[in-house]
Amino acid sequence: MSDSNSTGHSSLSPPPPGSRRSPSPGGTSVSTQIALRNMRRLEARRNMEENHYLTQKARNCNLNPPVDLRALDYVSKYDDNLVCPICRCPLVDPVLLMDCDHCFCRECIRQTWTTYSPLGPKGDCPTCRMPAKLGPRASTSKILVNILDDLVVKCPKSENGCKSEIKRGEVQDHITIYCGYAMVECKDSGCGQSVRRKDYDLGCLHYNVSCESCQQNMPKAELETHWQLQCPDRQVKCDLCSSLIYYRDREEHRKEACPAVNVPCPGAPLGCTNKSRRAHLDIHVKGCVLAKLGPVLDAQKQRMDEQESAHKLINRKLEILETGFTAMQDILSANRSGPPDNGSTETLIVPSRSRAESTATDSTRIASADDYDFPVPPSNRGSAIEPESPPTTNTTRSSTTPRTTATPRSLTSPPLRPAPQAPFPRPTDLPPPTTTDFDLASPFSTTAPGADGPYSSPLHHLLSMHESLRDEMARVSAALTELDGRHSMQILNENLRTRDEIAYLGGQVAGMGRQVHWLTSAQLQRQTPGGSAAAREVGTGASAGGGGAGGSVEGAVNAMSTAATALRGAARVVNVGGGQGSPTSPGMRRGVSEEGRTKL
Amino acid sequence: MAANKRIMKELGDINSQPPAGCTINLPNESDINNWEVTMQGPPESVYADGHFKIHVSLPKDYPFKPPGISFKTKIYHPNVSNDDRGAMCLGMLRPDEWKPPNKIKDVLALVRTVLAAPQPDDAVETGIAEQFKNDKAAFENNARDWVERYAKGA
Ligand SMILES: [Zn+2]
Ligand SMILES: [Zn+2]
Ligand SMILES: [Zn+2]
Ligand SMILES: [Zn+2]
Ligand SMILES: [Zn+2]
Ligand SMILES: [Zn+2]
Ligand SMILES: [Zn+2]
Repeated sequence: MSDSNSTGHSSLSPPPPGSRRSPSPGGTSVSTQIALRNMRRLEARRNMEENHYLTQKARNCNLNPPVDLRALDYVSKYDDNLVCPICRCPLVDPVLLMDCDHCFCRECIRQTWTTYSPLGPKGDCPTCRMPAKLGPRASTSKILVNILDDLVVKCPKSENGCKSEIKRGEVQDHITIYCGYAMVECKDSGCGQSVRRKDYDLGCLHYNVSCESCQQNMPKAELETHWQLQCPDRQVKCDLCSSLIYYRDREEHRKEACPAVNVPCPGAPLGCTNKSRRAHLDIHVKGCVLAKLGPVLDAQKQRMDEQESAHKLINRKLEILETGFTAMQDILSANRSGPPDNGSTETLIVPSRSRAESTATDSTRIASADDYDFPVPPSNRGSAIEPESPPTTNTTRSSTTPRTTATPRSLTSPPLRPAPQAPFPRPTDLPPPTTTDFDLASPFSTTAPGADGPYSSPLHHLLSMHESLRDEMARVSAALTELDGRHSMQILNENLRTRDEIAYLGGQVAGMGRQVHWLTSAQLQRQTPGGSAAAREVGTGASAGGGGAGGSVEGAVNAMSTAATALRGAARVVNVGGGQGSPTSPGMRRGVSEEGRTKL
Repeated sequence: MAANKRIMKELGDINSQPPAGCTINLPNESDINNWEVTMQGPPESVYADGHFKIHVSLPKDYPFKPPGISFKTKIYHPNVSNDDRGAMCLGMLRPDEWKPPNKIKDVLALVRTVLAAPQPDDAVETGIAEQFKNDKAAFENNARDWVERYAKGA
C-alpha cells in the first residue's frame, strides 16, 4: 500500500531520502531507534497522504468546478424574504452590511462593489445607497444559514441525467464524492482523460464511436451526453405543451403543431385581435364571425380582381367600338343631310320610313312597338328620345338592327324598293342581351340584369348593332351593284333601239333622196333646155337658189332639211340617254362614291 | 450563469405580469440578453396613440451593470437622443447610479413615467428641452406629429 503510494506519487512528493537505508546513529537504544523510525515513517506517510489529497482535490476541482449555489434549481418553496435582491436566489453565504443591516450574498455584494471600483470591495448599499462596508462579524446568524442550507435543490448535473435532489448544503459533497454524473479521472491511468463517475468501472471509454442516429463521431464516453443533450434526433419535451418531440422537429412543432402556442385567429386580417392557443383555436373559430367571413371574402376579392381585369378589357373594347360607332353615325348623318331628292340611291341608304318615325316618335312609338321596337317600358321611352340624343340615333338604330333573315330577301327584291319595308326584327329576333331593359340614350346604365355583368349588355348591343350595320351595308352595296347592272342593261337596250331607229331614219332619208333625185330629173326632162342649169343650181346649195328654180324644187329642199333636223334630234336623244346611263358619267360616279363611303 | 438565472427569472416574472402598456418579445429566442419591448404611449400624454419599440440590452454582467435602453421608434422627446441609437438618458441607468437590485420591470415603468413627464433638466436633446420649457404648445405639436409619422405603424 505504501509502496504503491510512494511509486505512484514519487514525482510529486519524493519520500525523504534514505528513510529505510540510513543507518541509525549510534549510542541510542534500539527501541528509541525503532520508535523514531516509526515516527518518521508515519510523518512521511502523512505528508504523502496530504499531498495526495491536495492533488486529488485540485484535479477534482478541474474536473468539477465548485458549484455556484446561485445557479441551482430549487425544488422546495422558499420565502421571498430569503431572496437576495441582486441575484434573486435564496441567499448564499448571506452577509449583513454594517449600519443598514441589508442582507446580500457575500459574492453578490463583492461583485457589485468590484464592478465599478477597481480599488476593492467597498461602496454603497445597493438597496438604500448608504455608505456601507462589511464588518468583522458580517455573517448572519447560524439559524438563517441552516434554513437556507436545508432548501432542497436539484443536482447541478441534472441536465446530464442525475436525478438526485439534495439539500443545498450538501450539493458540493454530492458532486465531489457521490454524483454519478460528476467527472473523475479515467480508470486507465495512462489515458489522462476524464469520465463520469458512474462509468469509471467500465474501463477506458476514450475510443471513437459514431452515433447511430446522426452518424457523428465521438468518444464512447461522450455518447450518452450526446444522446441526452446534443443529438438532433434526441427526444425533448416541448416546454409549452410538454409533449415528447424530436429536437430536430421542435421548430416545426412550435410553428405547426404545438397546441400550446398562441396563434392568431384566421380572421386577423379582417380585424379579429383574438389570439388563442392552437388547441382552443377551433372553439374560437366556431364563434368568430370574422374567421368565418375570411374565406368568403378572400374568394370575393379574387373574383373582384378577376372582374376588374375583365372589366378593364371590356372598357377598352367598348371605347374602340364607341369611336367606330360614332364615326359610322357621322357618315350616316352626312349622307342624310346630302341632296334630298337624289332619287333611288338615297332612299336605299336612309330608309324614309325610319326618318318619318324619328320625327313622329312620340305619337307612333307605342303603336308601332309590337312591330319592331325594343321592349322598352313606357317610362323609359322618354329617355330614349331625350333632346340631346341626335335624331340620327333613331335612324341608325332602326337601319342597323340585325337582319340576318331579311338579307337574302332584300337582295331579290325589286331594285327601287325602299329598305325600310323590309321587316324589322321582333324582340325575339334580337340577341338576348338587347331584349333586356336597355336604353340607348344612356348606354352605361347599370340596370340591365344580364348574367354577364352590368356592362356586358350595352356592349353586346353595340356589338350586335355594329354587326347589323355591317350586314346592312353589305346588303345596300349589293343592291346598289345590282341596280347598277340593271341600269346599264336598260341603257344598252335603249341604245340598241335608238340605233335601229337611226338606221331606219337613215334609210328613209336615203329613200327621200332618191325620190328627190327622181323628181329633179323628171323636172329637168320636162324643161329640157334650162333644166340642166337648174339642176346644177340645186347641187351647189340652196344659198345660190335663184328665182329661176321651180316651187317643187323648193319644197323638196325643205323636206330634206326637216329630215336632217329630225336626224340630229334623234342623235341627241341617243347621246343624252347614253350620258345618263353610262357608269362613267359624273352624276352616277358621285352616287357610287357616296355608296362606297357609307360602306366604310 | 447566475446572471442568466436572474434574467430568466425576470423574464418569467415580466411575462406572467407584464408592466402596464408593455409587451416583451425576444427577437432571438436563444439570446435572452436582448429584449424587444413594445410600449404604448402613456394615456393622456402626447404620445398616447403611439406604439414605441424599445430595445433593452442586458450586459453580460447584468445585474451588476445597468441595462441599455434605446428607442427603435423615433420619438420627439428631450430625454431620448434623436439619432439612430435613440438612447434614453435615465438617471437610474447611469453606471454610478445603477443598483443591482433594480429590475427591468422598474426600468420600464420609469421609462413610461419619463414619457408622460419629460425631464428637461436631464435632457440629451437640449433643443427639444428648450422648446419644452419655453413653448409647450409647439413641443406638443411636434411630438404629436412625430407620433403620427413614426409611431403609428402596425
Ligand atoms: Zn445574491
Ligand atoms: Zn442598505
Ligand atoms: Zn448528482
Ligand atoms: Zn480513458
Ligand atoms: Zn447523434
Ligand atoms: Zn409543444
Ligand atoms: Zn377571431
